[in-house]
Amino acid sequence: MSESSMIRPHATTAHHTSLGVDNRKLGVWAFIGSETLFFATLITTYFVFAPVNRARPDFQDPREFLDIELTTVLASILLASSLTMVLALSASKRGDRRWFTTWLLATVGLGLAFIGGQVYEFNHLYHEGLTLSSSLFGTTFFVLTGFHGTHVAIGVIWLLSVFFKVRTYPNSPENAMDVEIAGLYWHFVDLVWVAIFVLVYLI
Amino acid sequence: MAGHHEEHSSHAHGEHSHSDRFYWLVAGVLAVVTALEVGLFIVNEQHLIAKWLEVTLLLILSTIKGAAVVMFFMHLKGDAGIFKFVFLVPLAFATTLLLSFMVLFSEHVGIAG
Repeated sequence: MSESSMIRPHATTAHHTSLGVDNRKLGVWAFIGSETLFFATLITTYFVFAPVNRARPDFQDPREFLDIELTTVLASILLASSLTMVLALSASKRGDRRWFTTWLLATVGLGLAFIGGQVYEFNHLYHEGLTLSSSLFGTTFFVLTGFHGTHVAIGVIWLLSVFFKVRTYPNSPENAMDVEIAGLYWHFVDLVWVAIFVLVYLI
Repeated sequence: MAGHHEEHSSHAHGEHSHSDRFYWLVAGVLAVVTALEVGLFIVNEQHLIAKWLEVTLLLILSTIKGAAVVMFFMHLKGDAGIFKFVFLVPLAFATTLLLSFMVLFSEHVGIAG
């Protein structure tokens, strides 16, 4: 048996609930449920204020500011990161440390690329005159996408901390669960961008 | 007993049978759907189809993307029912919230005071 496929004996303790599922995974799913409501509220606010924005003297037209090309690249980056994340989980369960490291760090890299793209977009919009206080569109847009970007940044930190914790024994049940729940959060962040991409940028 | 424990542990830890090749396939479908979304947006800048139809198609395509991510990447399909409950119930509330406010305040310019 190769070193990479060995399971650390003392790391096999599971955290089962009375429902027969891991309590950390259940907690993360419940957290994701609450986050769904959080982002739904921000998206709803964006749409509710859109006609108000149009009626105000400081009206700024989203179509004049939003760059669909850059955003398509950002959407592709996050979708690609979801693939690398699920491949990292698959490799961790196989005990394949080499590919686990490759795919997880690729996910981190893609997450950083997304954040970099969003910083570029925000900087560009700022110099075009769209700020947090320039109009209702600016307020609702930056709050929504800013919170999403913050979630991506938190996800990157979470993934890195999981990587350094589990890299030696990625396939112990405890460590594989660490990877899985970090992955759930990461996929959720991608899921939110799927919604933002179509609702804010395309519609 | 050991077998039972392994089976229990396997279920609790969400062992999934999808191969890496399957994940690449899902990612390919997601890429195609994203290309369709952007293509639809670009093509309809010429107003070739009605706005309501474009919006409907975009919502259908994004729903397909979201469902694929949740079912296959997040492994909700085939996972324990409690995970579906704690995610799908808030999602239903969230969808209801969005649709209700759209109906109530769409084109309503007074809400901001």
